[in-house]
Amino acid sequence: MNQRNAPVVLIAALFVLGAAMPFVLKPYHLNMLTEIILFALYAVSYNLLLGYAGLLSFGHAMFFGMGAFTVAVSLIHIPGLSIWSAIGLALAMTTAVGFVTGGLLLRHKGSYFALLTLAFNSLFYAVATKWHTITGGDDGLSVTRPDLALGFTTVSLAGIESFYGFTLVIVGSAIAFCWYFTQTAMGQTVLMMRENEERMKFLGYNTNISRLILFTFTGAVAGLAGAFYTLHFQFCSQSAISVDMTTTVLLMTFVGGTGTFWGPMLGALVYIVLQNYLSDITDRWPLFMGLIFVFMVLFIPGGLSQIIQSARDLIAGRRGTGKPMAAKEASS
Amino acid sequence: MSDIPVFFLHGLAYAGLLFLVSAGLTLVFGMMNVLNFAHAAMYMLGAYFSYTMLQATDRFWLSLMVCPILLFAIGALIERFLLRRVHVFGHLHELLLTFGLAYIITEVVKWVWGNFPLAVNIGGLLGDTVEIIGITYPVYRIFIFICAVLVGAVMALVLYKTRLGIILRAAVNDSEMVNALGFNVPLIFMGVFAFGAALSGFAGVIAGPLLTTYPGMAHDILIDAFVVIVVGGFGSLGGAVVASFLIGELQSFGVLLFPKLSVALVYLLMAAVLIVKPSGLFGEKQ
Repeated sequence: MNQRNAPVVLIAALFVLGAAMPFVLKPYHLNMLTEIILFALYAVSYNLLLGYAGLLSFGHAMFFGMGAFTVAVSLIHIPGLSIWSAIGLALAMTTAVGFVTGGLLLRHKGSYFALLTLAFNSLFYAVATKWHTITGGDDGLSVTRPDLALGFTTVSLAGIESFYGFTLVIVGSAIAFCWYFTQTAMGQTVLMMRENEERMKFLGYNTNISRLILFTFTGAVAGLAGAFYTLHFQFCSQSAISVDMTTTVLLMTFVGGTGTFWGPMLGALVYIVLQNYLSDITDRWPLFMGLIFVFMVLFIPGGLSQIIQSARDLIAGRRGTGKPMAAKEASS
Repeated sequence: MSDIPVFFLHGLAYAGLLFLVSAGLTLVFGMMNVLNFAHAAMYMLGAYFSYTMLQATDRFWLSLMVCPILLFAIGALIERFLLRRVHVFGHLHELLLTFGLAYIITEVVKWVWGNFPLAVNIGGLLGDTVEIIGITYPVYRIFIFICAVLVGAVMALVLYKTRLGIILRAAVNDSEMVNALGFNVPLIFMGVFAFGAALSGFAGVIAGPLLTTYPGMAHDILIDAFVVIVVGGFGSLGGAVVASFLIGELQSFGVLLFPKLSVALVYLLMAAVLIVKPSGLFGEKQ
């Protein structure tokens, strides 16, 4: 297989595999898979910030939550709104929020940036909790999935099979687009900025603008994931915008590995599955998640993708590079 | 408007508590360049330790002495066996590690003490009220403010007037040179981190009777402490004093003047400072 075409083949294979799933899985597992796919998109968008741009954000949930709330609120208050318009509104909203907050937040880097994003997330969370008339406060908002108008026909999304298909196509395409984004000149600029920002400045790139575009883009992508979160659970509460939602995506991304594009998707899979089974066994599952996280920070900073890479090197008979590649990549 | 002095004093008390929390945070950040996400979790640990000690002995002063020492030990262990390991990977990993620790500590606290608030009552002089500028006011809130002033004064004295302070500041600027002069720099950093942890524990013990002891207390104070650091300027002790005062009073008067907006006021202040002076009021330009 050609190295250059490998990711394209992988994307196609994942789509085919995904399309076969409704025939294999029980509805319970199909539900879980839908959740995994939407969280995979969320994790991919987060990794574009963390793994590609080296920006550790504790405020990614504000985009996720903003997307989730926009869909919920617009579906409740605008009768007869189509699902496309609701998703479009969520994208527009998160793009605008990303642009404005990014302008303020990106003046700082590293720890400062992390601290500021957390504070901004808290601002949004406080508003979501207190603005009871719009967001439902502690009670949350319940919505019904509208039917999907395709122009020539209308598909009911009430059942999990049809909604799974819709999620697979739209969210899957978004993930594929994110991969394409990393291959574009813009995505490569971000990568090189992480390696040596001074050099990029001397080469004439406006690194601040590039970072802002990336930040806004990841915000909109996270907003799309949030929109599907509301549509999937047919419910949206303040937990969608809480710091816990950022914690979740940070764990997913880190467990999967920040060094590669695909790692976070694997992380989302492992996280959701682990969460489902651990929460059956013990109420203390967040504690185990925390322990796994700290263990990985200490010993496997490259996450699962680093393990897979090492295993692959071992099988191929090559000597491992020794140093975890992701450790260097993520620590700028 | 006879409420105004009361609200002013309320603001001062909260400002004092905020300063106690953010002083340790800003010290560790300024010295070691580590943003300690576990700082508020250690503060919570201090409060819960104190709760247990008060249940057993009913001596507030004793817990005010012992809990910071316990936290000092925990901080030293964390620095020596965990933080130092990831130091080579850079700030991001240090930050992630403290973040993971905060997560674990919060979960363990919920496990051990339960997921509900615990009321802490103190008797004696501190539980009493006192007549001050014509109003009756609880002694405890004044005590918090006095503690904050004392801690701030001692920290400033040690950092800027003693030999130890000179060595500490030198270790930040040029750790290799200080090492070459025969000082044990890793030990110094361990001490700084442990002292920050002890300070957080001290603040936790003090916060217990004021805010009750509950599992979300770490998260609640962490955000406010971060805002203090942003507004005051990163790593600046003087900035922490001014910002704590501003935010304490803003929280207090916000409830009086704009009850609906009160939660957002602090963040609005932060956003305003960010727009005008991104490095914070007393921060150095990066």
